[in-house]
Amino acid sequence: MSPTQTRSAPTEAGPISQFFDDLTQPGHLATLESERATLRFDVRDGSSVQRWHVTVQDGDVAVTHQNAPADAVVTIDRPHFEAIVGGRLNATAALLRGLLTCDGSVAAVMMFQRCLPGPPGSTGRVAPITSQTVMAKHDPSQRRPA
Amino acid sequence: MSDQLVQILEGNTFVVSDNRGDIEASETDPTGLFSFDTRFLSRWVLTINGQRLTALSTDDLQYFQARFFLVPGSGTVYVDATLSVKRERDVAHDGFHEDLRVLNHENQPVDLDIRIEAASDFADLFEVKDALKKKGSYQARIVGNSLVLGYRRDTYERETWISAAAPAAVDETGLSFRVTVPPHGEWSTGLDIVAAANAADEHADEPVSIRGRGRREVHRDMARGLAKWLERAPTVECDWKAVERVYRRCMTDLAALRFSTLTMPGRALPAAGLPWFMTIFGRDSIFTSLQALPFTSELASTTLLALAERQGTTIDDFRDEDPGRILHEMRYGELTAFEERPHSPYYGNADATALFVVLLDEYERWTGDTKLVHDLQHAARAALAWINEYADLQGNGYVSYQTRNAESGLENQCWKDSWDSISYRNGDLPGFPRATCELQGYAYDAKIRGARLARQVWKDPGYADHLEKEAADLKRRFNRDFWVADGEYFAVALDSDGRQVDSLTSNIGHLLWSGIVEKSKARAIARHLVGPRLFSGWGVRTLAEGEARYNPIGYHVGTVWPFDNSFIAWGLRRYGFKQEAACVVAGIMAAAEVFDGRLPEAFGGYPRSSTGYPVQYPTACSPQAWSTGAPLLLLRAGLGLEPDGDHLIVDPALPLNFGHFEILDVPGRWKKIDVCGRGHIDTDRVTQAR
Repeated sequence: MSPTQTRSAPTEAGPISQFFDDLTQPGHLATLESERATLRFDVRDGSSVQRWHVTVQDGDVAVTHQNAPADAVVTIDRPHFEAIVGGRLNATAALLRGLLTCDGSVAAVMMFQRCLPGPPGSTGRVAPITSQTVMAKHDPSQRRPA
Repeated sequence: MSDQLVQILEGNTFVVSDNRGDIEASETDPTGLFSFDTRFLSRWVLTINGQRLTALSTDDLQYFQARFFLVPGSGTVYVDATLSVKRERDVAHDGFHEDLRVLNHENQPVDLDIRIEAASDFADLFEVKDALKKKGSYQARIVGNSLVLGYRRDTYERETWISAAAPAAVDETGLSFRVTVPPHGEWSTGLDIVAAANAADEHADEPVSIRGRGRREVHRDMARGLAKWLERAPTVECDWKAVERVYRRCMTDLAALRFSTLTMPGRALPAAGLPWFMTIFGRDSIFTSLQALPFTSELASTTLLALAERQGTTIDDFRDEDPGRILHEMRYGELTAFEERPHSPYYGNADATALFVVLLDEYERWTGDTKLVHDLQHAARAALAWINEYADLQGNGYVSYQTRNAESGLENQCWKDSWDSISYRNGDLPGFPRATCELQGYAYDAKIRGARLARQVWKDPGYADHLEKEAADLKRRFNRDFWVADGEYFAVALDSDGRQVDSLTSNIGHLLWSGIVEKSKARAIARHLVGPRLFSGWGVRTLAEGEARYNPIGYHVGTVWPFDNSFIAWGLRRYGFKQEAACVVAGIMAAAEVFDGRLPEAFGGYPRSSTGYPVQYPTACSPQAWSTGAPLLLLRAGLGLEPDGDHLIVDPALPLNFGHFEILDVPGRWKKIDVCGRGHIDTDRVTQAR
């Protein structure tokens, strides 16, 4: 699609805009220290394309809507990108599946992944399992009736 | 179908065929062309005038190259061949090239119908392992002189492009060549097979390679790369000639195990095993990099960078991910793409995060590369923070593990990852979470080494003090809580109630390596390691004889693991047990000689005197990276090599049969240095007595 055919969708409140706003709020992300890269996200929504251009410099993050060159140009449909910034879709999986295409540096995309949230339901906690349960699962002799 | 499989590879692209060069995979049969954890060819069968061929000889010339000499016929008793066929195959990063030559030995021309049948099931490696059914659909199309096999599931597309240099009649199941070969003449063609991902356009007349870059060029790189790798490696000279052979085998195998990620195409890290584990594994890549450090530091720096790049940042229960956690395994196949498996990457290990810091420090001690230590400061701090904030599942100050993904997560997140590896003396299995002992050792070592980096490189003495205080506290508690008083060793784990899992295991050797063992307890540990219950004469068993689950051919419950032993030898040296370390060096190097330089992942724990030779444990992967690295670390332990500032300390404790031994051009912050020693420790009393 040539630039003349695209029209920039007006910036609107939505999960993607919210995500990028949140990203630039702190201005500096420790997890991106000693990283330098630029990425452009071309998010397709029907016939329109909305762009976010991200510059990472030693942990400082700046986001614009510029249609400027970048180390990595990521193209993706809006619903899929909304799923990614909402933690419902893993970006690497999306790349392998062809939902997300990357023109340029895969390393930049990998770096950017550090800014993405985890799945909404994940708590980091799990109930302990007793020795008896483990034994019953693995040891055929434990399953035999007495 | 022949039993003997031929495998060649480059990175995570590999071809496994029979000794004729043919591939006839079934759903569960692990042959084919694989790339990025996907099978791109499951059928590749050559016939001449409808006849299959018979192998006269097969050579794997290099790890990426094989040659098959064939004659027509099934060759049951006697082959009367007037034709011979040569197939020469080179694997590249995204497929393979095959040169096919047919030679007519008759004095008259011969008309031939040469055919290659091709098909692909596009199976994910996990599907091959678990015999799962595919969910997408298959297509085949013909583009000029090429056959394109395709698979599609929603937006996931993979294609195999098969092209011939010579004119071919192409149909959807293969390529045919109707040719006349002159008297004493030959016919030949090149065949190119390219693994392609997500072709942009179905009308495209060229494949979109899964990797990019011209293949021929890459191939020249490979041959040159291998020569350079071997040339750069230090030279080993030893009166016991087997040591030299073992060393050469190790360096060549290590070359084959080198793997480049998509994000760092020019750099190599050690993949875990060939061919099924040609991917990044946090634990395996770190251990192998540590073993290889006296010989090459390139693997370590790439491993550190690649692992930092994918370090956990968020809480993801499906992937067992936490902020700061170092990955366990990365995969690229269909099941990972559809999040039916958590390997994008999966984080379920409890050791690689601490080991990441250990490797970073050890790497700096050898190379003096403080730039990398600066660049990875955030990653190292995040790893150290993980130990306290996320790994202490029980709130008792110990690193524990329990998967949060009951369906496809790993139960045992330590190196002994099979279901029965951690047991009480009576054979009962503990519940979860489990805090295995070596994890505490690694955590201790990570804090001590992190403190050194903080003080010397990051210039943060406050943080260094804090880490050292934590380490001292951990050591004190550990020596109290894990010590099995009636056996004089450390329990393999604490269970979910904080009770000791009290069996005697090789894990205690890793504790010496980490330095967490109080001096007063070290002697008893060393005695156990070369004592009759753990030491087989070849090496230290994973589980001691006399424990309920002991089985000399049980995966982690009695076999001897060369990698395990190499770290045990290093640990024994750390505490000054030269005699004991030399016994481990002597035993494993003798086994390496029997295995022709290529140590298996594990071998039987039978007493040495009862079998006379080490009995190989059957595994699908060979060489395995950390078995390949084991002799390298054993040689280091034998010579007592320890970097100390800009110097390299040499303190040999070599078995008698080594005679004179030297390593020339050991690379490091001292540029290059020659080190040598003479075998003077009589180890026969221990190794031959078992």
